[in-house]
Order: sequence, then structure tokens, then C-alpha cells
Amino acid sequence: MTLSLEIEKANYFATAAKENWISFVSFLMFLLAWELICYFEIIGPYQLVPPSEVIVGFFEKLRDVNPDGALLQHHAVASLALALTGFVAAVVIGVPLGLFMGWYPKVNLMVRPLFDAIRPIPPIAWIPIAILWLGIGMVAKAFIIFLAAFVPCVINSYTGIRLTNPVLIRVAEIYGASNFETFRKIGVPSAIPMVFTGMKLSLNAAWTTLVAAELLAASEGLGFMIQQGRRLARPDVIIVGMLAIGFLGALMSWILTQVEARFASSRRLS
Amino acid sequence: MSTFIKKYSKWLAPIGSFAAFLLLWQVASLNVSADFLPSPLMVWDELVRLSQTPVGGTSLLGHVGYSLRRVMIAFILAVAFGLPLGLLMGWNRVCDKIVSPIFELLRPIPPIAWIPIAILWLGVAEGSKIFICFVGAFVIMVLNSYTGMRYVDPLLIDAARSFGANPRQQFFNVAVPACLPSIFAGVQNALSMAWMCVLAAEMVGAREGVGFIIIQGMDLNKSSMILVGMILIGIVGSLLAALLRGAERALCPWRSEMV
Repeated sequence: MTLSLEIEKANYFATAAKENWISFVSFLMFLLAWELICYFEIIGPYQLVPPSEVIVGFFEKLRDVNPDGALLQHHAVASLALALTGFVAAVVIGVPLGLFMGWYPKVNLMVRPLFDAIRPIPPIAWIPIAILWLGIGMVAKAFIIFLAAFVPCVINSYTGIRLTNPVLIRVAEIYGASNFETFRKIGVPSAIPMVFTGMKLSLNAAWTTLVAAELLAASEGLGFMIQQGRRLARPDVIIVGMLAIGFLGALMSWILTQVEARFASSRRLS
Repeated sequence: MSTFIKKYSKWLAPIGSFAAFLLLWQVASLNVSADFLPSPLMVWDELVRLSQTPVGGTSLLGHVGYSLRRVMIAFILAVAFGLPLGLLMGWNRVCDKIVSPIFELLRPIPPIAWIPIAILWLGVAEGSKIFICFVGAFVIMVLNSYTGMRYVDPLLIDAARSFGANPRQQFFNVAVPACLPSIFAGVQNALSMAWMCVLAAEMVGAREGVGFIIIQGMDLNKSSMILVGMILIGIVGSLLAALLRGAERALCPWRSEMV
């Protein structure tokens, strides 16, 4: 059955490669339709600009601080720094917490109530109270991003270590490993694939939440840039910003996937 | 006694942990000013007060109703368009090739990043909020039905074909039921995503809805009002999720045996 699946897959990709021109044509048609919609002003210039102007706008934004007061790269660096701060803090705290919760019932009992109360509230709903508590600076935003990234880290690490093969645990016990040793040498390595899934979800959540926080209260960052674009009715700035957000988000996920391929494959326990 | 605990531990554990959480909160609130972190009792008083006096011209339930209406419209539209599109992309390679370059360009952009352009296109009225929720739910629906369809065991389709099923039957009677679990996972994620997006959209600009309540609380510097809003948001979100889990159990009962 596996073999038939493999052959099916290989066939699919072989035929699919020959049909890539369809994708290419479709993408060109999309750009053409967009360009024409703007050319005939079906949607006005204060609401949508054609792709050609988006490209020009992109290069202008790299050199020109108008209209929002900073260069594109400046906004991008500000956003990345904030998102990564919150994300790294969430991984450093959330992953061990989830692993301990999954392994030690007592830790689970202590942390569970807090965690369950926080979980159903979307991270975005924390923005007002975080601003009230911590002001509109960097700390408030880092806190919100931390919360957003924290939850998937904990849940996935917890599930990952709970799914450890009990046979492996018993073998370790029979050979006289202590509980902590079993945790460190059996539980943690077998949870790693799930931990990485959690980290990917976290990164996604962090990036989304960052945009929300910057839309609401910020003086720099890509979210701020698109919000300014809206206030000044500059669709070119908004679209450049949106594409930059999408591109950077995809880039970060891609990097994390590469790290996973390097790191997790050599340690996977089956 | 111990059998009592064993029998009801399923109920005791969440109640106990909830009580522990309230206790922690109470202790934490004793040491700081009420403007910073009000105690649970003060939040309860605020909830009672808000349910009697309207906020910004709408009652508390009215705000929840506004948000739910936006979410439901967007969610139904997203399922109605996203589900067939995803299934079709998974089933037919040409369709996949046509749609995926455009879809892949737009997919990495978080739905919340659409807020400014949606406001520019549709104004701050209902349209832009429904659009944001639609974008969020739509992407998830397409992705899940697409992956579900691509992972349907080809043996099932081959079996159907060798029993003489025509393509229509292969699609509707074999492939679609086979990817129902994946579709349901998508429906659940899409709804919770729509719920998050409505919040964000309402926080950026609205006169009603749950997002408006918490932003209003921030503008009035009333942390108890924000907390009431947050709790409401959490409760409604959990209820929506529970509702869908119930629907899943009723519609694909074979799933519950696996979990």
C-alpha cells in the first residue's frame, strides 16, 4: 500500500512538473486583470494601485521616508526584532513548561488552572489590558506576542511528551534509569517533532499578533506603516507593506523548517 | 470518599482548577491598585453593571450579537466558497495549477494585515469587518479541504473505479467522505480564526461588538471593563468551539472512536 502511494505521488509530481506553464499563465492573467482593473479605474486610484506601481512603490519605499516617516527596511527590522523577542521568550519558557507539565503530574496540577483560564482568550484581546499595564512601548507589545506564541508551545510540548511510547519508558526503567533521566533521554527526544510543530504555530501566531498590535498602537513597524497608508489613503504603501509582511512571515517559517530538518531528523525516536 | 473522587474527578478537576485560578487572582489583586488589576469580585460587579446599562448605546448581549453576526456571515461565506475550491484543487490538477500561484501569494499575509486595505475598500462599516473574517476563515478552509483531498488513499478511489463508479460518484461518494475529518478540523480552525479576526477588526474601528468593549475600556482607563470584555470573548469562543465539536460528533461518528 505504501508502495502504491509512493508511485502515485511520483507520478503526480512528474505530470505536475509538465503543467507548470499553467501556473505561470494563470499568474500572468491575475496580474494583467489587476493592472486592467486599475487602468480602467473600475476601482479608483485611492483604493487600489496596479502591480506596476506596487513595484515602483517598493523601490521608492527603500529610499524615501515619506509618507510614514521611516524606510521600509527600518519598519521591517523593528517588526522582526519585536516578533523574535516575543517568540524566543515564549519558546524558552513555554517548551520546558509544556514538557514538565506532560511528564510530572504535580506540575500539571499546579500550572493547569492558570493555563486553562488564559487559553480560550485570543492573544489580540490582551492588547488593551497590556497597554494599560505596560504602556504603549516595546514591552507591552513583546508581552502580547509572548502570550500569543506561548500557548501553542506549551500545548504541543505537552502533547508531544504525553505521546512518548510507553515501551521505551519501561525499558529505561528496567535498566535502572531515574525518572529525571528517563525524562531527559527518552521523553524529551521523542517529543521533539511535536515541539517543532508547536514552534511553527507559535511563530505564525507571533507574527499575526504583532501586526495587530502595531495597527493599534505603534510608531514604527510594518503594521504601523500599513495603518499610516490607510490614514493617508495610499494603497501603494499598504500593498507594499502587506507583501512585505507576507514575505517575511513565509521566510521565517521556511527557516524554522530548515532548522527542523537539520535538528529533528537525527534525534527522532521511533 | 475515594470512589466519589474517582467518579467525579472529570468534573472536580476543572472546578478545582478554576477555584485555584480565582484564588490566585484574588491574592494578586490585593497587592496592587484596583485600577491596575481589579479583584474577581469587582469584575463581577462590573459585569452586573454593564449588563444593566448599555455601553456606547448597545447592551452587552447586543455587542456579542453584533460580533457573532459578523462572524457567522463571514464563516458561512468562507465555507461556501473555500470548501468547494479546496476540494476541487485537491481533486483536479489543472484547477490546482491555476489557483495555487495566486493563493500562495496571498496565503502568507495574515488576515489582520488586510484591515487597512479593507477599510480603504469597504469603509469602516460592516463590510470591512466581514471581509477580514472571511479572509481568515477562507484560507484555512481551502488549505484543509485541499490537504484532506490530496491525502485520500488512492486505493479507495481505485477500488471505486474498478467497481465501475463514474468520476462523479468517485468524487462525491468516496473522496469527499474520506476527507471529512480534515474538513471538520478546517471548519473548527476557521471559526476560531474568524472569531479572532472580528476582534481585531472591531478594535481598529467600530462602534459595537466585543472588540469595541475592550477598546472602550482602555480609552476610559477601566481595567475591570476590559476584563469583562476579555472573559466574554473567551466564553463565546469556547462555546463556538464546543458547538462545532458536538456537530462533528453527530456528523462523523466514526471519528470519535479514533480520538
